[in-house]
Amino acid sequence: MRWINLFHANLRKEYIELKRYLPNTIAMVATFYFIFLGLFAGIQFIGDPSSAEANTQYLIVNYVFWFLGLMVIQTIGWEITNEAMRGTLEQLYMSPMGVWRIMAARLASSVVLNIMIITVLLFVTMATTGQWLNIDIITIIPILILTIISMMGVGFMIAGISIIWKQVSAFLQILQFVLAGLTFISVKQAPFLVYFPFVKGVDLVRDVMINGVSLSQIGIADFGILFGNAIFYFVLGLIIFILCERIAMRKGLLAHY
Amino acid sequence: MKPIIEVKNVNKAYKKRRSKECVQAVDNVSFSVQKGEILGLLGPNGAGKTTTIKMICGLLVPDSGTIEISGIDNTKHRLRALKHISAVLEGNRNLYWRLTVRENLEYFAGNRGKSRKEVKERVEQLLHDFRLKEKEKELVNRLSRGMQQKLAIAVSMLAESDVILLDEPTLGLDVETGYEVRELLKSIVKEYERTVIISSHDMDVIQDICDRTVIINKGKVVTDDKIENLMRLFEVKSYIFNLGGLLTDQQLELLQNRFTEMTYTPDTIYSTIEVDLFQNEAIYELFDILKMENTPVESFDRVTVNFEQVFMKIVNGGEKICVG
Repeated sequence: MRWINLFHANLRKEYIELKRYLPNTIAMVATFYFIFLGLFAGIQFIGDPSSAEANTQYLIVNYVFWFLGLMVIQTIGWEITNEAMRGTLEQLYMSPMGVWRIMAARLASSVVLNIMIITVLLFVTMATTGQWLNIDIITIIPILILTIISMMGVGFMIAGISIIWKQVSAFLQILQFVLAGLTFISVKQAPFLVYFPFVKGVDLVRDVMINGVSLSQIGIADFGILFGNAIFYFVLGLIIFILCERIAMRKGLLAHY
Repeated sequence: MKPIIEVKNVNKAYKKRRSKECVQAVDNVSFSVQKGEILGLLGPNGAGKTTTIKMICGLLVPDSGTIEISGIDNTKHRLRALKHISAVLEGNRNLYWRLTVRENLEYFAGNRGKSRKEVKERVEQLLHDFRLKEKEKELVNRLSRGMQQKLAIAVSMLAESDVILLDEPTLGLDVETGYEVRELLKSIVKEYERTVIISSHDMDVIQDICDRTVIINKGKVVTDDKIENLMRLFEVKSYIFNLGGLLTDQQLELLQNRFTEMTYTPDTIYSTIEVDLFQNEAIYELFDILKMENTPVESFDRVTVNFEQVFMKIVNGGEKICVG
């Protein structure tokens, strides 16, 4: 019950801030859309016309997942840095719930809100390109949940680093390109990527949305890999976060920026 | 009765970032706080007050020693101990400036895992008690500094914890708001039956509110006593002598060697000596030095000291002072 209360408090805060910083939210959505238009124009005017349709479909899925990955993975890191700058981080550390739970609740809230925005953007991009993908909710949702759990693990790793070294913005910028690499490259082209966080999930979603694969067609082995990947990275992320917290508490770095 | 907070032999050292030099911020600090007490934690800048407060809050891990809050060792069971303690560490910076007064209270209450019903009831109560109801829909960045400080204290009250720690609660407030916050803190102890630890540079606040003070200097506890005892000690021991002329160089040297806490103000008509006499026989020694040159003593009296002077004497004296 306390988890639900925590989630509710953070969802409300995230929603209020999204509304109160409306120009930022609009700018973010507009940036997403205009970059997409640029990439789409590239496929139309420079790319091979015979594969333009397939390329556009890949672009939509890859781009949307890159955006989602960026949001999930960077959120906690940004939140820690912002809270330290504002002076509220130590206040969060005074909660008997523990900061990792607060951050998990905040991340889950942010995912809920961002998925709404991303869904709208997905339909806008599909309408813009005229390429309508297979939106099989029943198949997509379990894959998406496991993929996001794995992304959250990476998010916790970055958040842990940002507790100790608050100025991680340069690193987060480089991370955008690493993420682009992980979301744009298919597992079929580089099988070793299956061990990387969330790559398998994005690959499965591509299969569902582009090739029309249904839940029954996805093997148990694939789900097993996805599940194992999600749990492994989430637990690893959490361990790194808690270790970094302990270092920060020993060295007195919590409030430092 | 078992104290609600027990700090035992706590040590904390930091390494300086560049020079890697080790600085002992807190050196074998021990003190305890009883339920319902208001304790003032004092010390000059860099004395180790904030480090001590942060260790009590579990935000810093001590190198050695233990800190128990309501019998729970916060170095081993941090989250359990946090159920019994709340804090205002950075005053108005502890708040979300782009949220309203009500939103801040609701968020922090929810963050402690409280249900929506509990949150609603508690927030209503605090808005009423802290006279913030009229401002409940105001964004924090539009509030006065005093109002922000009141809200920060209200946030710390959400926890319904046994102990509240306040780091510089009146810093930057004007006289009127400072007085209001002071009265608020008194009522917290009386009406809510909380234990309060205040760290402040404002001696008037400490003197007005606190029952007892722990003074830390260079990481060590130099005094742990009731304010009235400290005041009495210095009131009894501080004297002013009015002399009918000047001291000779030899007399001055002897006095300075014998009494480290001495101020001499030379004047051809009325010179004065202000001195702390901690031992009874010291006064005879002082008279002996004055008698050497037959320096006339026009009058002498006890000096009325305020708490700020007491604090300065303790800190500058540097030695441990034991009273009572």
